[in-house]
Amino acid sequence: MHYTLQFRSIREYLPLLWDAAQTTLSISVLAIILSVIIGCGLAIMRRSQSRLARVLAIAYIEIMRNTPLLVILYIVYFALPAMGLRFSPFSAALIGLTLNSAGYMAEIIRAGLVAIAHGQFEAARAQGFNPVQTYRHIILPQVFRVIYAPLGNQVIAVILASSLASAVAVEDVASWMQTVGSTSFRFFETFLVAAGVYLVLCQAVNLIRLAIGRMLFRDNGVRR
Amino acid sequence: MNHDLFSFLPLFLKAAALTIWLSWLALMIGAVAGGFVALARTSRWLPLRVLALLFVEFFRSIPILIVLFFAYFGLPVMFGVDISTFTAATLALALHATATMSEVMRAGIESVGRGQWEAAQSSGMTFAQTMRHVVGPQALKVVLPPSVGVYVTTLKESSLASIIGYIELTKTGLLVRESTGGSFAPLLLLGVLYFLINYGISLAGGVLERRYNVGTKLVLAGGGL
Repeated sequence: MHYTLQFRSIREYLPLLWDAAQTTLSISVLAIILSVIIGCGLAIMRRSQSRLARVLAIAYIEIMRNTPLLVILYIVYFALPAMGLRFSPFSAALIGLTLNSAGYMAEIIRAGLVAIAHGQFEAARAQGFNPVQTYRHIILPQVFRVIYAPLGNQVIAVILASSLASAVAVEDVASWMQTVGSTSFRFFETFLVAAGVYLVLCQAVNLIRLAIGRMLFRDNGVRR
Repeated sequence: MNHDLFSFLPLFLKAAALTIWLSWLALMIGAVAGGFVALARTSRWLPLRVLALLFVEFFRSIPILIVLFFAYFGLPVMFGVDISTFTAATLALALHATATMSEVMRAGIESVGRGQWEAAQSSGMTFAQTMRHVVGPQALKVVLPPSVGVYVTTLKESSLASIIGYIELTKTGLLVRESTGGSFAPLLLLGVLYFLINYGISLAGGVLERRYNVGTKLVLAGGGL
C-alpha cells in the first residue's frame, strides 16, 4: 500500500470542522436534554393507573425502538411537509433524534423507578412527606444511582446517532467528512479526523461519567 | 394513491428480504470475528488484550456512518479497488457488529467458570470437546438473548446502506416516494415494515430470554440508532 498521509491538504477545511463539531455537539446536547424530559413523562405514563396512558406509552416506546432512526428522520423531514409541517434540517434532525432517543430514555428511567421498592413510597408518606418531597429526597437520588450507567450509554449513543443528521442536510461532522473527502480526495485523512472528533467526544463523556460517578457513588458503575 | 402503493408492495417485500439478508450476513461475520476478539480480550498476553480493547473501543466510539463513508469512498481511492455498495455496507455493519458481539461473547465466556475448563481438561477432553460439550452450551445460554438485540440494532443500522445507494428497504421507500410524486405513504409503509420485522425479532428475543431464564439485558451502546 503506497499511501502517504497528507494532512496539509485538508488544513484549510479545519475551520469548517470547528463549526461542524459545534453542530454535532449542540444537536446531541439538545436531543439528550429534550429526550430525558419526554422520557420521564413516558416512564410515568407507563406506571400510571390509566390503561390508555400505559398502552400509549408502550406503543410509542416499541415503535421508536424498532424503527430505524434514519426512517424517522426521513418521515420528519420529507413526509411531514406534505401535511404542512415544514422544518429546517437542524430542527428536523433534532426532532427525529429526540423522538427516537426518548423511547430509550423512557425504558432506562422506568428501569430505575422499578428498582425502587414500593415500601420506600409508603415509608416516605408515613413520615409525612408530600409527593414532591418524596421524589425530591427519597426516590430520585436512588433512581439516579440505578440509571446512571445506562444514561451514560445513551448519551454516547445519541452523539453517535447524531451523525445521521447529515442525511437530512445538517452540516455536522459526518457531513464534513463526506464533503471534504470528496473535494480533496484525502478520504483516509478526513476519516481519521472525523473519527477522532467522535472518539474524543465519546471518551470525554466516559471520563466525565467516571469522575462524577466517583464523586457521587463509591463504585463508579462504568459498565457499557 | 393507495392503489399505487399496493402495486409497489412486492418491491418492498423483496427489498425487505435484502435488508434482512444484509444484516444477517453482517451479524454472522460479527459473531465469528467477535468470538475471536473476545478470546483476544480474555487472553493472557497483554499486547493482544490491549489491541482487542482498542479495536472494540474505536468501533464503538465512532458512528457507523463514518465507517460506511470511508469504506465506500475512501477504500477505492486508497487501494485502487472497486467496492460495491453491498460490500461497503457489509464491511461497515460487520465491523460494528464485531465490536458489540465481542462484548456479548466475552460475557458468555466469562460466565463459564474457570473450574469448568479445568474439570473438562482433567477428564481428558480436548479443547474442541470442551468447547462442544462443556463450555459452549453454557456460554450459548448467555450469548443468545443479547445477540437478538444486536441483530435488531444491525438491522436498523442497515438502513444506512441507502445513503451510499444500496437499494435495500429504505432506499426502495425513497425511490417509490420519488416515483409517486413525493407522497407521504411510502415512508410510512417503510416505518411499518421495519417495525413489524424488528418487533417480531424482539418478541423472539423475549421468548429466548424467558426460556433460558437469563436476565442479561446487556446494555449496549448503539441504542440511538
